[in-house]
Amino acid sequence: MQRRGKIYGAVGILLFCAVLDVAADIPPPSVSEVGKSAKEPFCPPERPAEWRDAQKIDGVEIQEERVCLPDNPYAVAAFVKGTNNVSMPTLMKTRLAADSIIKRNDRDGDGDPDEIIIKLEVAELNGASPDTTEPVHTFAIAPGIRPAFWVFAPKVRGMATKDEHSTEANPLLRVPSPVIRVEQGDTVRIVLENTHYFPHTIHLHGVDHPFVDAKGEGNDGVPQTSEGFILPGGKRVYEITPRQPGTMIYHCHVQTHTHLAMGLIGMFVVEENRPDNWVQTFNVGAGKVRHPSRAVLERYDQEYDLQYQAVDKELHEIVQSSNDPRVIARRMNREYDLTDATEDYFLLNGRSFPYTLRESLIVVEPDQNVKLRMLNAQGELLAVHTHGHKATITHYDGIEVNPAAQITRDIFDMAPAQRLDLKLTTTNDGLHNYGPGIWVFHDHVERGITTDGMNPGGNISAIVYKSYLGADDVPKLQGIDLSRYFDTAFYRRQMPVWQDIDEWDSLGDPDARQAEAAESADGETRKRSPLRHLLLGLLLGFLAYILFTNRERGRELFCQYVLGRK
Amino acid sequence: MIRILAWILLWLPVAALPGHRMDMDSMVMNENPTRLPQGCAEIAGDRTITVRAGRKYAKPFPGVVFAYDRQSWEVAPCTRLTVRFINEDHIRHQFMVHGLPPDLYPMGMFTIEVSGPGEETASFILPPYKKTYLVHCDIAQHTEHGMKAQLKVAGGDGDLASLPGLTKPVRPDRYPSRWTGRSLLLLALALFAGMALIWLGRWLIRAMTEDRP
Ligand SMILES: [Cu+2]
Ligand SMILES: [Cu+2]
Repeated sequence: MQRRGKIYGAVGILLFCAVLDVAADIPPPSVSEVGKSAKEPFCPPERPAEWRDAQKIDGVEIQEERVCLPDNPYAVAAFVKGTNNVSMPTLMKTRLAADSIIKRNDRDGDGDPDEIIIKLEVAELNGASPDTTEPVHTFAIAPGIRPAFWVFAPKVRGMATKDEHSTEANPLLRVPSPVIRVEQGDTVRIVLENTHYFPHTIHLHGVDHPFVDAKGEGNDGVPQTSEGFILPGGKRVYEITPRQPGTMIYHCHVQTHTHLAMGLIGMFVVEENRPDNWVQTFNVGAGKVRHPSRAVLERYDQEYDLQYQAVDKELHEIVQSSNDPRVIARRMNREYDLTDATEDYFLLNGRSFPYTLRESLIVVEPDQNVKLRMLNAQGELLAVHTHGHKATITHYDGIEVNPAAQITRDIFDMAPAQRLDLKLTTTNDGLHNYGPGIWVFHDHVERGITTDGMNPGGNISAIVYKSYLGADDVPKLQGIDLSRYFDTAFYRRQMPVWQDIDEWDSLGDPDARQAEAAESADGETRKRSPLRHLLLGLLLGFLAYILFTNRERGRELFCQYVLGRK
Repeated sequence: MIRILAWILLWLPVAALPGHRMDMDSMVMNENPTRLPQGCAEIAGDRTITVRAGRKYAKPFPGVVFAYDRQSWEVAPCTRLTVRFINEDHIRHQFMVHGLPPDLYPMGMFTIEVSGPGEETASFILPPYKKTYLVHCDIAQHTEHGMKAQLKVAGGDGDLASLPGLTKPVRPDRYPSRWTGRSLLLLALALFAGMALIWLGRWLIRAMTEDRP
């Protein structure tokens, strides 16, 4: 009887293993992290260095942007003039569709157009494909890290990839959703053409908009109260004539708890009305506004848009787990539970450190006034700290604070969806600034300076004084070599954070040398899956069990054949 | 008047790019109705196909979102193919062919893009050799969700994967299992059968190893 019990036990364990094995096979092939250790340069030669210079294109003044990956100035010119007014050679140097931004009809005769049509599409980045296990239309937030995103994007033309050989997304398709700028009093039609496979809408958070448009159709973007879904292949026009200026938001209002986190949120800035005020309709990738509005230039030398957002990798993996929208919908809408979720990646303008250093630096000179517009698009509180500077909060949620009551401080806390307009002054007076340098600014909720818990990562970037910019506009850093962070191995936790801290690597991995030797010997790292260990252990245990229960016979055989006696 | 003239002048350079056309409604890239690909002595014949694109063409294929009304076309070598491309959605769609000789078709592509409901027509000449060309809409996730087809010249050199209703995907989807009374019963049966097998195996081993008087 006891013996039978043992057998059933063994059978049970075997079955359990089989189930484990199957279960281990099933989960989404969500590994959005790129293969082996790959080092990247600080500044890859992706974009022409001339793009960084101050220039005039089609009569549009474009400020300089001294970072490794500047915005395409031709696209900036098209954003300012409209794709219907910009010259053909300029338009051809962008990837914009001809009907992307229409600007016309100077109704009040003040020298700028007052009727604006803005076309938006919805793009999926790092999505799945039935033809490959690798993500497609890729966008890396940090070395080797490519979570799936959904973003609003300007209407583009041609391929969705950088070129015909690349899987990298067209540079206009990126995180965050582009900042939209309009002028106070303009009649703006925002046309959402839903190129995605799920329904979406646009809600204009904080922007003056009527509940219904002239035709009586819903204008608030809420599918439950104002209008239905915009289905794949469909479109809707949102019509507004905003009376109040300010830093606002636009975001999708379908399954908002997931669609917003997937990236369907961007800043919507209404600029104060001024004569001859051609505003830069899109700021793709946020960051520096290379053609600030008249009102901003009256008071500031430069302007930056800073969008903070976060990624729960479990949510973003769902999109990469299937090609069937019904399966994705099921996993996202019914199986995923936001109340059990935690955020893992933290982005400033779509990237995490060290990639933030390539495009989200605030490059200043002494005695400047810089306008920063910040949005917290994360799910939780944000507390941005600026090293070396104390800035003044001029606006909360787009509304100006009584100048006498404005607060100057060094921590800027923002609830989700909140906006702050800051005045950053670079006057070296010991209060506003302590002098030139490379001053980092980052979230002081410390998980925000990590990438899935690895530090340094997250939304760290820097305010860099021009005197601290070196060759190729790379900041003249005085600390340790940053190349270790431009390595996929670092964020896969395969590298000791303090590796080679001194000559004898006193704080490296205890077995680093041996592991390295083994790795170079057999060419690749051996897989150390805990499941494999478990299975091997169970198999050995099972063999031992058989041996033990047949020990008498075993001894007989051993004596007979090995020792040669009966 | 001056504005219109200036506008025309500004847009003129598009006409200067051979085979390129672009306006507010559509775009054609690498149109080629005259130049012969290498190996074609003459245009073998003219053929026109009408291709419709839209969400509604995905209806017959569960799990597909966007599609063309057909997934495969066959044409003879050196044919001048005229494509009338009709977009029935309110978004952009493309008819993009890859793998053409790059000397005639920069980047090996021929593209018609229609920016909303509407249509555009353009032609190109196919090379003489036996080949299957990829036709797709290169808007993010349109190919992946069904807007993919093939164009076979001289019978083609095989079929492409994941064409709705025609070929299997390279990476098929895994679907969650549905637990019904029947499948549970089957599972229980399989469990018992498995146990019985193991018991039988053990009995056999014992029968072989144990000494019998
Ligand atoms: Cu949505
Ligand atoms: Cu399409």
